[in-house]
Amino acid sequence: MLKAILIDDEQHCINRLEGLLRKNAPDIEIVARCKTIEGAKSEISLQSPDILFLDVQLGRDTGFDLLSQINYTDIEVIFTTSYDKYALKAIKFSALDFLLKPIDRSDLSHAIQKLKRYRNLRDTSKKIEVLLSNIKENNTSSERIAIPTLEGYTMVDTRDIIRFQSDANYSHIHLKSNNKITASKTIKYFEEILAHRNFFRVHKSHLVNLSYVETYVKGKGGYITLNDGTKIEVAVRRKEELIKKLISKT
Amino acid sequence: MNIKKTIVLFLIFCAPILGFAQEKSIDSLKNELGKHTENDTLRAALLIKLAENMTYSSPNEAFRYIEEAITISSKEKWIEGKAMSYRQKGNLFYVLADNLKALDMYQKALVLSQMTSNKQLESGLLGNLGNIHADLKEYDQALNNYRAYLATAQTLGSRADEIKALSNIAIIYNDTGKFDEGVSFLEKALALAKLEGNDLFIAAITNNLALAYKNSGQQEKALRFYKEAVDLAQGIDNKYIEASALNSIGKINVLLKKFSVAEKNANKALSLSKEIGAIEWESDSWQVLSQVYEHYGKNAEALKAYKEHVQLKDSVLSEEKKSELTRKEMQFQMERQEAMALEEIKRQQFVKNGYLVGAIFLALISIIAYVLYKRRRDAMEERKVAEFNAKVAETELKALRSQMNPHFIFNSLNAISDFISRNDMEQADDYLVKFAKLTRSILENSEKKWITLEEDLELMELYMQIETLRLVNKLTYRIAVSESIDPDNTLIPPLMLQPFIENSIWHGIAPKNSNGKIDIIIQKKGNMLLCVVEDNGIGRPKTSPNGIKKNPLGLKITANRIEIINKIKNTDGSIKLLDKKEGVRVEVLIPLEIKF
Repeated sequence: MLKAILIDDEQHCINRLEGLLRKNAPDIEIVARCKTIEGAKSEISLQSPDILFLDVQLGRDTGFDLLSQINYTDIEVIFTTSYDKYALKAIKFSALDFLLKPIDRSDLSHAIQKLKRYRNLRDTSKKIEVLLSNIKENNTSSERIAIPTLEGYTMVDTRDIIRFQSDANYSHIHLKSNNKITASKTIKYFEEILAHRNFFRVHKSHLVNLSYVETYVKGKGGYITLNDGTKIEVAVRRKEELIKKLISKT
Repeated sequence: MNIKKTIVLFLIFCAPILGFAQEKSIDSLKNELGKHTENDTLRAALLIKLAENMTYSSPNEAFRYIEEAITISSKEKWIEGKAMSYRQKGNLFYVLADNLKALDMYQKALVLSQMTSNKQLESGLLGNLGNIHADLKEYDQALNNYRAYLATAQTLGSRADEIKALSNIAIIYNDTGKFDEGVSFLEKALALAKLEGNDLFIAAITNNLALAYKNSGQQEKALRFYKEAVDLAQGIDNKYIEASALNSIGKINVLLKKFSVAEKNANKALSLSKEIGAIEWESDSWQVLSQVYEHYGKNAEALKAYKEHVQLKDSVLSEEKKSELTRKEMQFQMERQEAMALEEIKRQQFVKNGYLVGAIFLALISIIAYVLYKRRRDAMEERKVAEFNAKVAETELKALRSQMNPHFIFNSLNAISDFISRNDMEQADDYLVKFAKLTRSILENSEKKWITLEEDLELMELYMQIETLRLVNKLTYRIAVSESIDPDNTLIPPLMLQPFIENSIWHGIAPKNSNGKIDIIIQKKGNMLLCVVEDNGIGRPKTSPNGIKKNPLGLKITANRIEIINKIKNTDGSIKLLDKKEGVRVEVLIPLEIKF
């Protein structure tokens, strides 16, 4: 049995989730239901739960505030939210799981299965660290991303990533330190997360950090050279937008 | 007076050799001309020749021929012929004592002759011009012409021309009181004439030489040369020179008080002058005779002779006056021309300045006009862009409104309510979650201008699933994407087909009593993407029995979106609504956009 605490400021959301869990996950025991951060904090220290179903928006506070105030080692977190673009982006960066309200039955089962499978990896605390560091106010010095790999998660500063190269359902990530990480996600996944972070998909197989672009050489699509000396082909259809981005950058 | 005579003497011997020799051929030339009617250079040459032969006999009649010669030469572009024609026309004017017109013609001829290789012609013209200037007492001009004449004659090796040039130069010197130079040139001319063996030239030059000596006060020497001139003139039967020389001998003898000799010579000259009609010479003879009679005390005869002399002299003087008048007229003409030229230069300068000012003004106006135009155009451009952007924004909003059709929202809520009231919680929940997902997706995607075909088709599927749950009769759908299309790499404006699917379901299939089917077919058509929504519903006519289309909004919005795409991408996208036997087929054609 896994002990779970449901945290949401709206009663009907708690009710619905509880109903769904009862029906679809009988091996999860709901030990507490909280509507505020303060209540949640005391329940967490009291119950030492395995799972938190955590609403992002909790009145004036956020679920992130709660996480920053508790000892989150050994706790799995699944966020629940109805519609919060920016919070979702941060959650995606940290690779933490989330459910959209109204929660879909199959989505919930899927999330729980995943949680059970990776629980023994014990990397959730690292993800929460990433999340909390990213949402820290005025944090411009670093932006970390949790990269799902075959072995678990690797935390990387986005500024250390030179480029992504697609390899079917995997992506090879080339870092400034000359290291290479193979992620278990498609290049499209990273493109979506990093689209507004100075990363640009110059080619079907290449997502590059524009900070590392040294030169652009004209051609049909042309190609770019990066700081590490690699030459990356530019797709004809991406040329125009790339040039626009490179110009606006300088 | 005497000098004038010598000039007259030369003028006559400049051209007459031809004239007299061919006087008789005037008629034969006219004959030949009558036969040769074709307006070619041959006829022009004949005309020139005829006019030339008529110079002294009937100059006024000759003009007719020379004018024709000029016309033909011009038309045939025969420059030499034109030059010769002008020269001959000048000769005619000269003979008629119209020096001004003659000068004009000679100058025209000279310019033309310099364009040809006929140096002889050019040389002759220089002589002609010299004669006119000499006549008009423009000695410097005349001297220049003669010098040029001499130079060309020497290069051509034409001795006759050389002699003429030398003699004429000498005459100018004599005229201007430089007798030594005059004598020296005449001696050169005489030497050449003797070398040439031209007796006429020898006689004339000898006579002139005598005159030069007489003018320089060497009476004895002058007398000797005059006597020689008389002999020479008699030898060639030239009464003109003979009479002139005899008169001069008479005059010198009067001075030397040898009156009987003077009388004898004067009488001889008088009869010769009368014979040839040389009034000037006759007048001179009468002068000598009057002086002789006076000396003898024959007063009545002396008076009579003097009267004759004065009368004749008057007629000669009137000729002189005419010449003088011509000179004055010419001077006036030239001054007027100069003044006009000056005026013209001033005028042109003014015009030039005017043009410059005008050009600057025009340039300024143009620049101002351009700046104004550009401003206006930019403003219009901006307004157009703004209008276009506004239209884009409006269309986007309308597209969202049509996708989040209130009708759809409330229908869905109604369906959920229905499931609940029928106590079918599971169905209600299923429906609701799908509805939420679809709503979320629509909200997210309607922000984007293009999404992948895969994403869009997923949305369409979700939409159709929801509608399937709600419909009483069964709805099946099929999505067929042609193999040449990679849905993950093909872009499409989000929810482009939704209004048509909605139409098919609500107006085609919902009112139908049997099961419905929707086919979505995506194909490549050149560089366009063809998206087809086809149903087997009740079709359009039955959908709008009152003639009002049930859902024109969705169609109009999609048409607007395609119009915007067409403008931006410069393509030819379109929507076609086709009525089938059973149901409706909608064909949406948009540019094929590939992500990579």
